[in-house]
Parts: sequence; C-alpha cells; structure tokens
Amino acid sequence: MAHEMMVLVLQLGIIVLFSRFFGWFFANVLKQSQVLGELISGMVIGPYLLGGIHLSVIHGPLFPLTGGTIPISPELYGFAVLGSIVLLFVSGLETDLPTFIKFSGKGTIVGLGGIVITFLLGNGIAVLLNPGIPNMLHPSALFLGTLSTATSVGITARILSDKRKLSSPEGVTILAAAVIDDVLSIVLLSIVIGMSAAASGGVGIVWGKIGIVALKAIGFWLICTIVGIILAPVFTRKMKVFESIDMIAGVSLGIALILAGVSEMFELAMIIGAYIAGLSFSRTDVAHEIHERTQGLYNFLVPIFFSAMGMMVNFGAIKEVFWFGLAFTLLGILGKIFGCGLPALFAGFNLRGAYRIGVGMMPRGEVTLIVAGIGLSSGAIGQDMFGVAIMTMLVASIAAPPLIIKSFEGGSGYRSKALDTGDARSHAIELQFPNFRAAEFMRRSLADGFREEGFFVHRLDHDRLVYQVRQNMIVFTLLQEQDKLILNTPPEHESFVRLMMMEKLLELKDFLSGLESMKSPDMMGAELMKGMFSLDAD
Amino acid sequence: MKIKNLLTEQLISVDLQGSSKEEIIGEMLNILLKAGKVADRDLAYADLLSREKKMSTGMQYGVAIPHAKTLAVAELTACIGIHRKGIDFDSLDGQPANIFIMTLSPVDRTGPHVQFLAEISMVLKSRAARLKVLESVSAAEVLAVFGI
Repeated sequence: MAHEMMVLVLQLGIIVLFSRFFGWFFANVLKQSQVLGELISGMVIGPYLLGGIHLSVIHGPLFPLTGGTIPISPELYGFAVLGSIVLLFVSGLETDLPTFIKFSGKGTIVGLGGIVITFLLGNGIAVLLNPGIPNMLHPSALFLGTLSTATSVGITARILSDKRKLSSPEGVTILAAAVIDDVLSIVLLSIVIGMSAAASGGVGIVWGKIGIVALKAIGFWLICTIVGIILAPVFTRKMKVFESIDMIAGVSLGIALILAGVSEMFELAMIIGAYIAGLSFSRTDVAHEIHERTQGLYNFLVPIFFSAMGMMVNFGAIKEVFWFGLAFTLLGILGKIFGCGLPALFAGFNLRGAYRIGVGMMPRGEVTLIVAGIGLSSGAIGQDMFGVAIMTMLVASIAAPPLIIKSFEGGSGYRSKALDTGDARSHAIELQFPNFRAAEFMRRSLADGFREEGFFVHRLDHDRLVYQVRQNMIVFTLLQEQDKLILNTPPEHESFVRLMMMEKLLELKDFLSGLESMKSPDMMGAELMKGMFSLDAD
Repeated sequence: MKIKNLLTEQLISVDLQGSSKEEIIGEMLNILLKAGKVADRDLAYADLLSREKKMSTGMQYGVAIPHAKTLAVAELTACIGIHRKGIDFDSLDGQPANIFIMTLSPVDRTGPHVQFLAEISMVLKSRAARLKVLESVSAAEVLAVFGI
C-alpha cells in the first residue's frame, strides 16, 4: 500500500508540474488553449510514451499500464473524476440561469440535431468501410454511432469560461445542448446496450425495459434540475446562520459530489449531477463566493483531469485503424458542425453564431470514453474500434479549442437585438462627482454599506467598474463611469438605495471635513522627506 | 427584517408633546429607554443629534426619520411617534413634521438596518397611509397601518 501511495503522489506531482508548464506554454507562447497543453502533457508523460519507461528507483514505470479499459491506476483516475466533477460544478455556477432557461429550447434543438446527424454518419460509415459490420443494427455499428454523439461540455466550458463567453447566447446554447447531448447519449447507450444484448443473445429486443432505463435517465435530469433550482436559494438562506461562507461553499461542493454519485446510480454520467448542482447554486446570492472558494481546488484538479484524458491515448491502437479512424473522426466533426449549426440557424442565430455553436459542440471527451469503455467490456467493439474512439476524442479535442477561440472573435452571433437578460423595469439613479477619485471613494463606501446590510458585492466585468449587489432575489448593479456613479435598482427597492446613497454621501462629507482639518499635506510631505539624505560620507 | 418583529404597541406614541427637534428626539428616546431597548440614553441622544447636524432627517409631507448608528444599542430598534400639531424639523420641503420614525442600529453589526428604514418609510409613501396614521388615536391603529 505504501508503495502504491508513493507512486500515486509522484504521479500527481509530475502531472501537476507538466500540465501547468504545458498549459502555460500553449496559452502564452503558442497562443492556443490551455486545455490543449494540458491534454498533450498527458500524452507525453502518459503510459504510452515517457510514462511507460522503466525507472529503477521505483522498480517500474511511473505510469504503468493497467489491465482494464482505462490505462491508468484507479487511484489516479479517481483524481481525474474528481477534477471533472469540480469542472462541471464550476461551469454550472458560472452559467447565467435565466439565459440558460431562455436558451434551453434552442439547446434541445441543437443537441438533438447533432445527435441524429452524428449517429447516422458514424453508424453509416462503420457499415460502409468495415466488411465485418453487415448492417446498421449490428452492435459494433450501434456503438460507433453512439460514441460519436456525445459532446465534451468540459473542454468547451473551460474555453468559454476563460474567454468570458459562458453566458453569451452561443455559450449558453452550447452548454444546454452539450448537457442535453450527454443525457441523450447515455440514454442512447442504454438503448444500444439493450439492443446489443438482444442481438448477441438471439432474443428479441425488450423495448419496454429499454424505455424504462431511458425514462429513468431523463426523469432524473429533469427532476434534479427543477428541485435544485427551487431548493438551492432556500438552502443557502438557511445556511447563513453559520455566518461562514467557507461553510456554505464546502457544503455545496459536498452536495455536488453526492449528486454526481447519485447521477451515476441512475445510470447517467457523474458530470451531469455536478453540473446540475452548480446550475442550482448559480442563482443564489452566494454563487460568486462559492465560485471564489472553489477556484483553488479547480486550479489544482482540473488540469489533472485533462492530463489524465491525454494519458488515455494509445498511439499503437490508433495506427492499426488510422484511415478508418480518420474518416470516422472527420465525419464526426462535420456531423457536429452541420448537425448543430443548421438547427441553430433556425433558432435565431446568424451564420457566425451557427458556426460558433457547431465548433463549440465538436470536442469529445469523458462520455465518449465511457461509451467506448462499455462497448469494449461488453465485447461489442474491439481494441481497434476503441482506438478509433480515442482518435475521435483526440482529434476533435485538439482541433476544437483553436477553432472555438477563433470563432468567438467578431460581433454577435445572435440575430435578435432585443436580447436583454436584465430587468427592464429597473430605475437608474445617477450621481456626478467632481473627479474619478471622489466617485471611487463613494463607490467603495457604497459597496461597504451594502455588505454591512448583508449583501454580496462582486465585480461583473474585468474591463469596466461594474458590480452586482445581491441579497437573495434582490439585485442591483453599481457602475462607475469615470466621475459618475450609476445605480440600477428595481423600483420597489429604490427607497432603500436612495437612503443608502444619502448615508454614504454624509460619510463622504465627514471624510472631506476631516481632510480639511488635517495638517498641511505639503508640510507632511516635507517631514517625510526629511532625513532621506545625510551630510555624512556614509 | 420584518416590521412586525420590531414594533409593538409599547413602542408607539400617538401624542408627542415636544416643541423642538431636540425635545422630540429626547421624548422618543424615552420610549425606547422605557422598553429597555437603549443601554445609554445620553450616548444615543448625542449620536442622533450628531446625525441631524450632518443633514436633517426631516423628509417631505410631514415625515421625519431620525436615525443613527450607536453603541447604545445591541440590536436594531425602532419606535414611532405622532405630533398632532407638527413641529419644525428642518424638513426638505420646509413643512412641519408630524410623523416620526426613529431607528437606532448597532455599530459594526451586519444586518438590514437601512433596509428596515426604507421598508417602514415605503409604507408612508402614500398620502392615504399618512392620513390614516395621523387619524389614529391608539397605538393599535398605527400598527394596523403597518400591517401589524
């Protein structure tokens, strides 16, 4: 046991170092996505390349190949799973729920379009190019069709989060569609497993049983999302009796882990439960605080997840089925771009938006691996087709980040100019100050005042001085534009905002009269400078 | 913070007698003192007058909201007073004030103090509500205007 733990700690150390350096190099020198660097770090140090080299000090390779479908140790894989849970929890927290709900219909159309097209293309090419697969209902064809459907919401979510596009119309549509994709892929997987079992057992397909599995998966997703969204604000309100944001953040992460586990119990991917938890907490007033406190864990675990994904790449298995794999991968990519992009055109997006959504849905990840792993263990696909699955995941995941980043340059991809997630009824109260410093003093003073009243204040935009002031369902925005302060408030809270501003103006008055009574600043400056130089030689 | 959690009949006076801002503030402080809400009357009085000195809390249409942050209270406290004739309270509209809402909040304690003041003031936003308060002859009638 001590040896295994020693190896695990060494593995983690090497992964953290390499994923960090590769991530930094790709982001800052090659101007690519950090995720790509992390994925490639895993390939380089993984069991199929450098990690497989025998090291005498540890009596074997640092990343020895394990017998199962996953080539890394279960302990290390556990850390990667934890990383994927934290990643999706944070993605959920960052999602703007009203926009997500607004776009969930579009997400469903886009997700469904992608699934149908990629499934048909994947299934069709498997039959066309493989003499061993006689028809589209053959288990191998069904599995290959299924594994080309699932989008990796993780990669896209990370890039959109880095680029601060997670709450754009395209961002939320991609997230909604990717989550729906994952749910439907798992449902499809249950159907395919049922059909494969029936085909190999020589008995008829039990559609009733398959239907129950499908209903269970969709039901779990819907119920958890609705219940989560309703209960999370009540829960955080009650948790405030502990007067500790750390406590609330810790407990919400615990809930995300439990929901991830329960999600797996319902035969859905764990990441779905984690995403539902994040999404539920995203509409609470402590969402930003939870996010802030989870960031350290995110920075540590998420690169481990992507590096571990890179480690899954078996270069030997890919070589054998390279040309089929390439055709399968290209069709999988085109299937997503057209399958998701075309429905997006009919869902209010322009060509630019449809392309963004298409490439945003390109990456494949953990669900592809899960589907491939189940196919392999059930005997429906062999090592060669498992290699194809990995190749698809790899090419799509490597090609997607630069394409996504490039596609998000330029203007809006949404046709409607009327998109406004803000409160149309809100009143703007403006205060003009003689200079920036005075406005800044007042802004800080107001933020402190709101905090004293039990509000949470956080900055919304890194480029502008715009803040969200929030307590439960009461939300204001505070904006400083040079020497002007603007506070947007719903009319029912206008009196409170006006009183608060008045109190803080009086504090400013106090501060100014205090300054007037201060010793002359010139004299203070002169006193500070006295003694800086001396007459003595040393 | 719910108004009904803070206001009771004991904290209402429908017949304030003072004839100046200082006297009204002192009289209302006595209400809070009698209810055991204020630990140090002199300190609270000084803090209230200091706040008035910065800017009068006399608003419009006869409403005044004297308030302060003070070490003299351990928690948010409030009381309501009515002056039948109305007195000069340096109000924004220059009119005499006859409805007084006093709140004292503790220093360095997080809580919805300004929100409470806003909430209670909102009730008096309409002319009808102010008239009802002025027509009240008992504490219970005043509380009824605030939905208590």
